[in-house]
Amino acid sequence: MNSEISSNRPSRAVPNRIIASFLVISFIGFADATYLTAKHYSGTPLECSVFESCEKVTTSRYATVLGIPVALLGAIYYLAIFLSLIAYLDLRREGILSFTALFTIVGLLASAWFVYLQLFVIQAICPYCMVSAVASTVLFLLGMLALKKKRVSC
Amino acid sequence: MNPEHSHLSKKERRQLRRGERIAAELHQTRRRFTRRIAVWSSVLIGIGTVVFMIVKLSTQPPASGVPVVPSRIEITPEDWIKGESGSKVVLVEYSDFQCPACGTYYPILKQLYKEFGDRLQFVYRHFPLEQHRHADLAARAAEAAGRQGRIWEMHDLLFEGQATWANQNHPEEMFIGYARQLGVDIERFRADLDSREGKKAVEEDRISGNRVGVNSTPTFFLDGVIIQNPRNYDEFRNLLQQAIESRS
Repeated sequence: MNSEISSNRPSRAVPNRIIASFLVISFIGFADATYLTAKHYSGTPLECSVFESCEKVTTSRYATVLGIPVALLGAIYYLAIFLSLIAYLDLRREGILSFTALFTIVGLLASAWFVYLQLFVIQAICPYCMVSAVASTVLFLLGMLALKKKRVSC
Repeated sequence: MNPEHSHLSKKERRQLRRGERIAAELHQTRRRFTRRIAVWSSVLIGIGTVVFMIVKLSTQPPASGVPVVPSRIEITPEDWIKGESGSKVVLVEYSDFQCPACGTYYPILKQLYKEFGDRLQFVYRHFPLEQHRHADLAARAAEAAGRQGRIWEMHDLLFEGQATWANQNHPEEMFIGYARQLGVDIERFRADLDSREGKKAVEEDRISGNRVGVNSTPTFFLDGVIIQNPRNYDEFRNLLQQAIESRS
């Protein structure tokens, strides 16, 4: 009975600041991935800079999966996280939050793979990609925190 | 109870209350609906605006790379020059054989040279970047071919094969294969590839690039003055056309 009620009510156990951090971080990730996607589609890489080695990473063969740029997949991922949190705030269904929290594992695993590629295979670090990796990791941690808080409340 | 309803029967009052309740619920549903529309449309508009700004930002040519005081550069006897010395316009490129952006400009430049060949002198200078681990060797391969008079052929082969050799651990063999393809003396090519003169020639180009503020590749100088990288063939063509016309 108790759990039935709590499943349709705003959870007091998941603090607003976790939700707010979720929104902020996923939005940063979205902006970052969108920038890389736009760079990818704007065609010619205009130059290779002395200061960064982004082009090496973003033009490597690991930058696309079946012709889809990884950056675009990233942008969609962050946008999905962001929108499901808005949906959670709107509908207040606990299930949305739980699902989103679990879904962050996908981002964590993908980021771990891309960091590995940058460090050991391509041997170049792209700062924008690292921002995304940090964002994914933080989202995962927030997700686990949200799940833990929820479990305690039940 | 509302006093003005006192004249109504019990049943009528009950119906009225029910009606009021439904109206109130309806009102609340409507308000919630409006709120929902407001939230979601502002979210979507916000996202749209941000995406628009980011796309605009990312397609702008970077402002860096152009020194405040443009330095004029001159051609030296050590330069690799394509085209007649009496040409009207001189285009100098600081480039890196392993840089994908330089690889993108390669067919553009080739086409431009075809079009303006008789009125244009093209100079290639090495600017191998740190993050491209084979760029220095590739530059030396071009130098080594140049010592046997085949710099431009090697230049073309290096750019055309960039995607292949850039990902290899030991591209020397591929470079030697290119040399063989060009029909140069292989023993001499091998020796020149590791010679001190070759290394020095590449290094001198790089130093000269640093001196005039090159910090990315490719960087172009048109008649001695640094230019913003044109974004496509047509932009580049117009730029050269203007330079040629202003000379005549």
